[in-house]
Amino acid sequence: MSSELYACVCAVEFPAQALLRLRTDLQAQPVAVLDGPALEEIVCSLNRHAVQRGAALGMTRLEAEGIGGLQLLSRSVEVETAAHAVLLECAAKFSPRIEEVSHRTVCTLVLDITGTELLFGPPVKLAARLRDEMAAAGFRVSIAVSANFHATRIKATTTRGITIIPAGEEARVLEKLPIASLVLTEEHKETFALWGIRTLGELAALPEVELVKRLGAVASDWRTLAHGVARHTFQPIEPEFALKEFYDFETPVEQLDSLLFIGARMIDCLVARAAGRALSLASLTADMELEGRRFHHLAIHPAVPTVDRKFLLKLLQLEMGVHPPLAAVVSLTLTAEAGRSNKMQLGLFAPQTPEPSRLDVTLARLKAIVGEDRVGTPVLEDTHRPGSFRMEGFVVDAKPSTPEAKCPRMALRRVRPPHPIQVSLHAMKPVAFRDGDNRFDIVTAYGPWRTSGCWWSQDRWDTEEWDALVSSRSGEAFDCLLVQDRLRDEWWLEAFYD
Amino acid sequence: MPSASALRLEIERALEHRFPAALTPAPKTIYEVAPTGVAPVDALLEGGLPVGAISEVTGPESSGRTSLTLAFLSRRTEGGQVCAWVDVGDAFDPESAAASGVGLKQLLWVRCRSESGFPRTKPWTRLDQALRATDLLLQAGGFAAIVLDLGDVEPAHAMRIPLATWFRFRQASDRTRCCLVVLGKTAYAQSSAAVALESTPFRPKTVGGTVWRGCTFEVRRERQRFTPQFATARKPPASVWSANTAWDRVRSA
Repeated sequence: MSSELYACVCAVEFPAQALLRLRTDLQAQPVAVLDGPALEEIVCSLNRHAVQRGAALGMTRLEAEGIGGLQLLSRSVEVETAAHAVLLECAAKFSPRIEEVSHRTVCTLVLDITGTELLFGPPVKLAARLRDEMAAAGFRVSIAVSANFHATRIKATTTRGITIIPAGEEARVLEKLPIASLVLTEEHKETFALWGIRTLGELAALPEVELVKRLGAVASDWRTLAHGVARHTFQPIEPEFALKEFYDFETPVEQLDSLLFIGARMIDCLVARAAGRALSLASLTADMELEGRRFHHLAIHPAVPTVDRKFLLKLLQLEMGVHPPLAAVVSLTLTAEAGRSNKMQLGLFAPQTPEPSRLDVTLARLKAIVGEDRVGTPVLEDTHRPGSFRMEGFVVDAKPSTPEAKCPRMALRRVRPPHPIQVSLHAMKPVAFRDGDNRFDIVTAYGPWRTSGCWWSQDRWDTEEWDALVSSRSGEAFDCLLVQDRLRDEWWLEAFYD
Repeated sequence: MPSASALRLEIERALEHRFPAALTPAPKTIYEVAPTGVAPVDALLEGGLPVGAISEVTGPESSGRTSLTLAFLSRRTEGGQVCAWVDVGDAFDPESAAASGVGLKQLLWVRCRSESGFPRTKPWTRLDQALRATDLLLQAGGFAAIVLDLGDVEPAHAMRIPLATWFRFRQASDRTRCCLVVLGKTAYAQSSAAVALESTPFRPKTVGGTVWRGCTFEVRRERQRFTPQFATARKPPASVWSANTAWDRVRSA
């Protein structure tokens, strides 16, 4: 008795399944997929509802359009590639050794599940879990498990549902299968039809020497396959782990809600795939192809990697609200970057710091209210130019900054933009200034404090600052910062001391 | 011989119709406060500004209200806590904040903007943005202090903020244990505020008449909800504090 054990996953009508995976609204409707150059398109794949309506492979577009209620979709290589990656991801959760034996529109993966009984239980349970995993990813698959590679493959591609072939009973299980299960040429098919050989059991019963004499050495291989004892050297593939989903819209989409409807499903898939490897999504990138061959790019960077799909969808919605695509969207690609899951100690009753996921949504909402460049953390520039700073994204940092001063300091309240004033001077000192109709007397002026810099560039400055204690005729008194721009000979009310 | 507690119960029962619980002191709720970092003001407030409540710091320009608020934020960000500054007039100065000791990394600055692009025009858009932003931040939770800076808004405009808004802010700050500091020319939150401080300029400090070293301010406690007021006709308690200018630290170091 062989110790090897294989499970074969077979997704028939893969082009249709790949397209319908993200279109839950079409899954209960008859759908046919067309392939080929324009005006010569033929049906290359279809779902069972379409078969019940009378659709068949090879139909032309005209014939397919004649069937009432049949939805016609165009085949998309990008969608199939993305779906294939998802299928591989799901299979990789059960075994790292996978060999692909896909043929035409049937996607077939054979998993080496030798020694996985302790992890997943007996083959029946493993097959059921594998089917559920595939169903969660949006695929309808048939599964066969046996100790022989080829017997597993042949059984899975010809029989729906789950089949467990006990060891040593491969020939009995395969004997009823049609001879078309083998990859035969048209000539050989005709020969077998003339001989009256229709099943693998009938082929296995033929004498090997006589068969080889008539059909050549390849007939010996077919006979071995029919017996379920063919040997195979397993050639595992190494699937690349890329979190990417693609969707090609049938018609350009203008409504953000419709876009997000598909986006939600795509995020679900990305999250499920990342979670399967105990990872989270550290960033999410949405690339949209717009009408007129234009492109739109959005990127979301949550404060911490997350697998919360609602949260990611909300961020995507808010980002799309701030930066909407300027034309109808033709196709959508979501690419995610995987990261380690967040581990953070929060408070028992009240959070010590803002919860990262909620904070991200709050910041996105704030940006929608006041503008993207007006929310964040101020960072002082490394320059002597007064009032220089830049805004950076706000991140809750576990390591607090340690400023120097701990005694109260007089604060400035900036006037943005600085207010132009007319200043009266006496002995080179300002004694009064006028702000439109109002006149203010300067009781005391401290200064001038001269600063200049960047003389080598267009951005140079040369100013004199005066700290002025001011009173108006109405009795109002305040302290302010007056600045003389020496390059332009202009005076500005820059800030108030408060 | 009856025990002391039995005697106390007997006396209380005898006096119950006149003095309920005559010999049992009334339980006192201890409210959490956060120090402002300015000793005279902390003494005036009996510890600091209340946590989970609205505090108002009011006064005209150059009255020290912003300096006091920055000193408070400095203490709040000291332990790595996160604060926010909702700036209606876009008047916040990061250099002053850094000089006061505020951890800028822990500070979220929301700069409201007017649609017309002129900040001195009617403030309705900016006020609306500020109130919505404050609401969002309070609901998000986790902020140790949020400053709603209405310092440049005329009282005639800010007085139009509905009382229901202040009430909602009070509830939210209580739930999230956040100090909401409202900086303004006058008090707006009325009964929703737990503390109202009025700040006024006192006198400037100079060195030989050439360098301005700082200023002295007077802070008057206009309202403190959690402290019983026995004498209503008395003048509100006040204290004097001083703040040095940012450049004075080099001299004092």
